Amino acid sequence: MVIQYKCPNCGSDMSFNSETGHLSCPSCGRQDEIETFPENNILRKFDPDEAKEYHCENCGAVILTEAETTATHCSFCGAPVLLADRLTGDLAPAKVIPFTISKDEAVAAFWKWTKNGRLTPRGFTSGDRIKKMTGMYVPFWLYDIDGTANVAALATRVRNYTRGDTIYTETDFYDVRREIDLSYLKVPADASEKMDDELMDRLEPYDYQELKDFKMPYLAGFLAEKYDYDDETLFSRVESKIVPYIDTYIGSTISGYSTVSYTNKQIQANKKNVYYTLFPVWMVYYDFDNKEHTFAMNGQTGKVVGKPPISGFKVAAWFTGIAASAFAVMKVISFAVGGVLW
Amino acid sequence: MKDFQAKWLLAFCLLVVFSGFGGLKASAAVDQRIYDNANLLSEAEIEELEAVAAEHSRKHGTDFLFWTTADEQSLYIQDAMSDFYDTWANENGQENAVLLSMNIATRDVYLAGFGTAETTLDNQRVNLVLDRIIPEMQRGDYAGAFRETVTTSSRYMEFRPGVNPENIFFKTWFQLTLALLLGGAIVGSMIYNSGGRVTTTATTYFDGNNTKVTGKLDQFRNKTVSRRKVPKKSSGGGGFGGGGMTGGGRSFSGGGRKF
Repeated sequence: MVIQYKCPNCGSDMSFNSETGHLSCPSCGRQDEIETFPENNILRKFDPDEAKEYHCENCGAVILTEAETTATHCSFCGAPVLLADRLTGDLAPAKVIPFTISKDEAVAAFWKWTKNGRLTPRGFTSGDRIKKMTGMYVPFWLYDIDGTANVAALATRVRNYTRGDTIYTETDFYDVRREIDLSYLKVPADASEKMDDELMDRLEPYDYQELKDFKMPYLAGFLAEKYDYDDETLFSRVESKIVPYIDTYIGSTISGYSTVSYTNKQIQANKKNVYYTLFPVWMVYYDFDNKEHTFAMNGQTGKVVGKPPISGFKVAAWFTGIAASAFAVMKVISFAVGGVLW
Repeated sequence: MKDFQAKWLLAFCLLVVFSGFGGLKASAAVDQRIYDNANLLSEAEIEELEAVAAEHSRKHGTDFLFWTTADEQSLYIQDAMSDFYDTWANENGQENAVLLSMNIATRDVYLAGFGTAETTLDNQRVNLVLDRIIPEMQRGDYAGAFRETVTTSSRYMEFRPGVNPENIFFKTWFQLTLALLLGGAIVGSMIYNSGGRVTTTATTYFDGNNTKVTGKLDQFRNKTVSRRKVPKKSSGGGGFGGGGMTGGGRSFSGGGRKF
């Protein structure tokens, strides 16, 4: 089934506008609330053999998609289309964070980011090198995690004091135990095979205030994909993500000691709720030095991540500059304190 | 008018001449700084040490003296040293001096700073110098020990009074290493963070309402006590001294050792 949103005024294909948060018509400028968009104007077309092919309702062209695409444009007429059967049933997302950064803002934010790169080659920050910029809803699983931690540790408190000409070191040993109920909410893990996990992790955090119940119109005009990994498969990844957080918390509950050494640590984490969620990401494909560099931008907060090219010259210059000035400062201090330069 | 100018010119010339003398007096007045009463040094060594001592004496306006004796009766080297120095100072009209004394019979060595050297070569610095020369003394290289005393004291005396000249923060190699490490660390973290840094923390997804400690135990188990002696502040190796006053009323900084 293919879904297109037709403008109630002029019949053009509408797409989601990240500035207003409404469906907007590119022809007449009409804006419609997503919640109240008239049913009549939602064009649903059911293909008998749709498992194989989707057809654009405007021009009849075959919509070319990859197997995991759920929202795209008709490659012939450019109309935003949603592939509904990839967004329903088991594949229906529960939540979505809509784009709040428009394409123009994303371009501007990306330029600003390249200018801040202190180690990038000079040519990198100038010139129009953005090859492609794609707004994409990336599938994530959000986990509400419930758990318990049982910890046993041997802790010491050390005290030094002097009586006469003897220094006493007094070490008190304590048995420490903690039983902890743990709860973490909406820890994300990216469920798309295509996306680099590390890149996606660094895009976090998203602002969950803007987390909305999923409605298909949010996807109109963007690319979207369905998950490749289900929530069971990804749970171990989320677990390994929160274990350091849990360790930090456990450490914070054992305070007032000089040393703490754990003798036993049992952490049990269970998933309580799982939400299939789409997060907004701008993918930026950037040509530099005959190579394509890929960057990702958080479509909600504007945070940019990715591997920029590093200029060896600038690295050397920064290193020399910092080392030389640190050396000079130390010399000045040693002259001020000691009265001697060498 | 001409007379007047000539008079002033004469006065000015005299002033220059005398001030020149004044500046040179500190070193010009003294022509012997090595008093080798125990005959431990050769003629050539004495000549060379005189030259070294003269050079550094000019630099600091402080005479570097070396006095050796072989007196088995002497109980305290400070006393003998004080007497020697009073005599020397009165004869030469000098009050600023660094004096290395040794009694080869009792195997005592004492280093003292008089006048301005009492502050520029204080007890702490005296001990640092002694640390360096004791091995040479034990080897019997007395000329080397004095040369070392002169060069090291001279170097120490350039530092502001009170600071420890052997402090690692004054070492160029240390400053250089620190600067390189700092540069490496900062540039390293810049490279590491160039791709965007992780801004999630332990509290990002933390649910404070439902995370809590349900069981808690902090039970005292046992106690151990270890003892050790307060380390001695004065330098090791049978050190003695720490400055004092000569019979002639000259106060000095100093320190001595057996070798």
